[in-house]
Amino acid sequence: MADLQLDAVTKVFTERDGNQITAVDDVSLTIEDGEFLVLVGPSGCGKSTTLRMVAGLESISAGQVRLGDTVVNDSKPKDRNIAMVFQSYALYPHMTVRENMAFGLQESTTMPDDEIERTVESAADMLGIEELLERKPDDLSGGQQQRVALGRAIVRDPEVFLLDEPLSNLDAKLRAQMRTELKRLQNDLDVATIYVTHDQTEAMTMADKIAILNDGELQQVGTPLECYHEPANLFVASFIGEPSMNFFDVTRDDSRLVHDHFRYDLSNETGDELASAQGELVLGVRPEDIDLQSTPDGAHTYATVVDVVEPMGNENNVYLTIGDEQTQTFVATVDGMHHVEAGETVYAHIPESAVHIFDRQSGHALRNRTVESTTIPETKL
Amino acid sequence: MTDDTDAHTDRDRDRDADADTDTDADRDTQTDTETETKTKPATDDSSRLPAIGPGRLALYGALLALVIGYLSPLYGGLTTAFKTQEAYRETSPLQPPIEGITVDPWVTAGGELAMGMINSFALTIPAAVFSALLGSLAAYGLTKVNWRGQAFLLALFLAAVFIPYQAVLVPLRQFWSIVDISGLHERGELVELIITHIAYGTPICTVLFRSYYQTLDDELIEAARLDGASLARIYRKIVLPLSVPMFAVTLIYQFTQIWNDFLFALVLLSDRANYVVTLELNALQGAMATDYGVQMAGAFIAALPTILVYIMFGEQFAKGQTM
Repeated sequence: MADLQLDAVTKVFTERDGNQITAVDDVSLTIEDGEFLVLVGPSGCGKSTTLRMVAGLESISAGQVRLGDTVVNDSKPKDRNIAMVFQSYALYPHMTVRENMAFGLQESTTMPDDEIERTVESAADMLGIEELLERKPDDLSGGQQQRVALGRAIVRDPEVFLLDEPLSNLDAKLRAQMRTELKRLQNDLDVATIYVTHDQTEAMTMADKIAILNDGELQQVGTPLECYHEPANLFVASFIGEPSMNFFDVTRDDSRLVHDHFRYDLSNETGDELASAQGELVLGVRPEDIDLQSTPDGAHTYATVVDVVEPMGNENNVYLTIGDEQTQTFVATVDGMHHVEAGETVYAHIPESAVHIFDRQSGHALRNRTVESTTIPETKL
Repeated sequence: MTDDTDAHTDRDRDRDADADTDTDADRDTQTDTETETKTKPATDDSSRLPAIGPGRLALYGALLALVIGYLSPLYGGLTTAFKTQEAYRETSPLQPPIEGITVDPWVTAGGELAMGMINSFALTIPAAVFSALLGSLAAYGLTKVNWRGQAFLLALFLAAVFIPYQAVLVPLRQFWSIVDISGLHERGELVELIITHIAYGTPICTVLFRSYYQTLDDELIEAARLDGASLARIYRKIVLPLSVPMFAVTLIYQFTQIWNDFLFALVLLSDRANYVVTLELNALQGAMATDYGVQMAGAFIAALPTILVYIMFGEQFAKGQTM
């Protein structure tokens, strides 16, 4: 059992015409033993390539991958003691579940047959697939195949567990269920895990630590709540959270943020905090931090018109427009019992404590919302 | 604890089953609509069945004529093969052999072709098996393994598919005069012919296997690599078992090709003891110039193995073609 370290790992693909494409750019990560790291980002951001470099399926252009104290850059996949679950599950279609799970042990260890048998059976027991051992993959449902793929990975007792979008082929209900199951399984196994997904919900719900990747570059590494409440930049702020954070292009005018349709006064405290932040900025606020009021009451409250209401049952997503031309739209999430109707005029209160300020040019966060220290657990870094 | 997990997994399985039926249902509705659109005109027709349109009548007529056209030579050959010389001269080929029926032509032809049949089997089976196997290995190396110069080698294989037999006859003859296997053993000529057919059949087998392996999920190979299997083991344990339908296709194709070959055999075989069935059939025609019954029986005997191979591997063949 060991930590997995990625040190400035880079992957450059050379195309046929000689063009070089940097798929993964200088990514450094540490995954501690037993830690569940979710690598998340939009498709094509390099997250799968990163995973494949760790697995040894892709060569590393620059940087190092270390397992414990050993650099494994040039080790073959089978010598890395790494197990991987593929998006397609990649179960061997001509073998039974038992043979599928035993294959890795037969190929990579000198374990005697009866011990292989025992290992396979205990893993099958753990995943609740004992009855399926003699079946072929084609006879199994998606969820069952998923479990067999997990079983094939865990029988080998790997030091690092890699999962490449393992839930993307399941329907929504099963996916939610497998999420908790996978999380529990990883807890029991207690091995370093990298989980690749494009789904921010999976990232939020499963991760000990999230690493957000965009265009091959690492945007932020932190606990789910850190990434949610203290995004490092605009990309992270917009990627994490559903519905996404609202953004307003504003310019700084002394103690005010000026938007085309409204002005946002900053308190002295915030003004001091943002002393260096001048010129073009972006004001961000999460939908759930916006209060809707029927009467204008106090500062930071703006008249808006309700465009569309999406009832979710427990809450409503209310899409609002501000300004005469109704060009700026944003969304507020309110309690499901709070009755609002399209066309209604409501007053949106954007509390200063919940406001994020970003530099429009660089995208860097200049100020994140204030959070009581108890809300965010200590990061294991 | 165990009870708990059991209950849990039961529930899971139910959900899985639900998910399954869902997708099945989806698929069903999809195919339903498909068949509906397809069968709609047909059902319209069948409701008007009493009056079959003139178009349809013409179609059936044409089809029937084609069937007769295709089968009549076969039928004529078969009747001729059962007729005595006399009956052959006096009746039309399409008349069934009622008077003057005999199996003598079969006995004569069988006797003449016996050695040729044995030689043909000795040639065709190893040549077909090895060309399919080599084609499969080459295709595996060209699709699932990454290395430099692949494109060039693939181009060579593709080009080799289109080399006409006639173009290589002279160099082939000269090559086998230098590499003189026939000088080592009296059966050496057959070995030369086997090797020639393997070399000539491997490219087309490679192309066939390649198109099949390209559809094989790369993640399967990667999973096996992570499982610790070497390239050779991956071929043996994963790729080969999954290639069975494609082997049926290539084996049938190669068997027919090699069994029916006349040109290479004519050029490479000089000893009568090594003659394959196509050469013997040709000789039969020369020796029995007037006895068409014997010639027809001989033709049927020579064609029988290829028909049997189709029947034996037919199901796998169909599977392989649709893959």
